[in-house]
Amino acid sequence: MSLFSFLGTLEIGLIYGLVAIGVYLTFRILDFPDLTVDGSFTLGAAVTATLIVMGVNVFLATVAGTIAAACAGLVTAWLNLRFDILHLLASILTMTALYTINLRVMGKPNVALIMEPTILTPFEGIFGLPDMYMRVIFVAVCALIGGLLVAWFLKTQYGLAMRAVGSNKRMAQANGIVVKQKVYAGLALSNGLVGLAGALFAQTNGFADSTMGIGTIVVGLAAVIIGQSLFASRSMYVIVLSCIVGSVLYRLAVSMALNADFLGFSASDLNLITAVLVALALIFPKLRNEWKAKQAARKEA
Amino acid sequence: MISCKELHVTFNRGLPTEKLALRGIDLTIPQGEFVTVIGSNGAGKSTLLNTIAGDINSTKGQILFGERDVTKVPATGRTADIARVFQDPLAGTCGDLTVEENMALAYGRGKRGRLSPALNTKTREIFREQLARLNLGIEDRLESQMGLLSGGQRQSVSLLMSALQPSTILLLDEHTAALDPKTAALIMDITSQIIAEKQLTVMMVTHSMRQALDHGSRTIMLHEGKIIFDLAGEQRANYEVKDLLNLFAQARTDGEELDDDKLLLGA
Ligand SMILES: Nc1ncnc2c1ncn2[C@@H]1O[C@H](COP(=O)(O)OP(=O)(O)O)[C@@H](O)[C@H]1O
Ligand SMILES: [Mg+2]
Repeated sequence: MSLFSFLGTLEIGLIYGLVAIGVYLTFRILDFPDLTVDGSFTLGAAVTATLIVMGVNVFLATVAGTIAAACAGLVTAWLNLRFDILHLLASILTMTALYTINLRVMGKPNVALIMEPTILTPFEGIFGLPDMYMRVIFVAVCALIGGLLVAWFLKTQYGLAMRAVGSNKRMAQANGIVVKQKVYAGLALSNGLVGLAGALFAQTNGFADSTMGIGTIVVGLAAVIIGQSLFASRSMYVIVLSCIVGSVLYRLAVSMALNADFLGFSASDLNLITAVLVALALIFPKLRNEWKAKQAARKEA
Repeated sequence: MISCKELHVTFNRGLPTEKLALRGIDLTIPQGEFVTVIGSNGAGKSTLLNTIAGDINSTKGQILFGERDVTKVPATGRTADIARVFQDPLAGTCGDLTVEENMALAYGRGKRGRLSPALNTKTREIFREQLARLNLGIEDRLESQMGLLSGGQRQSVSLLMSALQPSTILLLDEHTAALDPKTAALIMDITSQIIAEKQLTVMMVTHSMRQALDHGSRTIMLHEGKIIFDLAGEQRANYEVKDLLNLFAQARTDGEELDDDKLLLGA
């Protein structure tokens, strides 16, 4: 793998680290499998790109994309909490609706940002760094700040209450926690992070596209699962950072599999590779435990 | 003080599975009184406690805490007054969180969840001190995952958690039923200690007639959603387990026909 493609892979892995954290919040913390992210990733990108093309300040545009995606999460939460629609189905409905909404927002299937200023523009040439390094550092800082803030949040009283809601609703309620409020907040936060990732992706890659969000959920889940199978820890900081590391490792593994000529994969084999990687990450901890149990039994005998 | 006036609860109203779980409960429990609640399976004991706690909405009637009408107040709005321990040891704690995180949740009960750290040195010290009362060594396992503790240990922690915040009412729903006799005795011991310390108003549902008579100062029996028996004072002092068992048997065989004359037998 060339240095150039390595840095590119790193960059995408770091951006999707934010997606992984969002997915971790819904799937693991809230126990609310949320597929909205396929749509909210694109929504974040679409809103940001459209606003930038309209001449809006890049930071404001990024914030607007993030908030729009957070609102998509609120819609899913509302469908589930207000009307008892199964969480999975509620999120599929929102995701489906977003496909049209994203096209409406952009007014066409894709928006190019190549000629526009982006959130990276102010950092071009900073410290004399070549662009390709600067971009990686920029997204790394974004992912790290996002991750640290989420980890800190999960350790506050509010964050702890959110974790209790995902773990034991009845207990949470008996301790005075307003369950619905925490679900709304969690879905908004999760989708906001995913939307931010979409907004960063659009700006680093120079486009927003109506199909760019397809498969976001699987990639996010893969990152969470890979990260957690490698770093078994109960510390919120380790868990959140392992989402980012998992995302980077996932990208590296995919890109190596695609680049290894002897394997004979082509870009269209991406989905199979993803599925195999996730399956391996799921199998690995189980095999490890079985192996440990066998070792322990042998010792006793 | 808890007062229930003409309290009715109907599940699945208007559906073929409609169930009248409470059919007019009139009950006043003065501040500081400890009432034990007995009755056969499905009598409505849990429903009564859950309705007082606000988990279940009453279909008719009124609930007051002191002078405050809480009938329309949701469960989370009542948690400043009410602490609870459930029958299922897994229900009262979060298995995914650590012991100290669970305690921190209970420590924040009735307060708003804020963006300050959930745990600090001071709260950890309080938790350790409280857990030491159990003599189970849990005070050295603050950072263990709750799910790794045994059922009895978890129930003990739930009980301590219910007492971490000042409250006036304690609702216990068969909180020792799922435990082995030794642990059950320990839990009942600590329960009595906490109640005496905090002078709580208590409702304790129990399956054990012995427990019902040994604890508290008043015993009520529920049957098919009604209070059919309310025992206190000297009369209760003279009651034996076998007398209660007789009442039970009567309620069963008589079913709907149980009339006022038979109620008077006990009253
Ligand atoms: N959520 C519910 N939906 C429908 N029926 C219920 C529900 N909860 C309890 N019941 C019914 O109400 C009656 C009283 O139940 P419960 O209060 O749990 O009895 P117990 O005295 O054994 O605690 C039972 O017949 C039970 O089947
Ligand atoms: Mg019950």
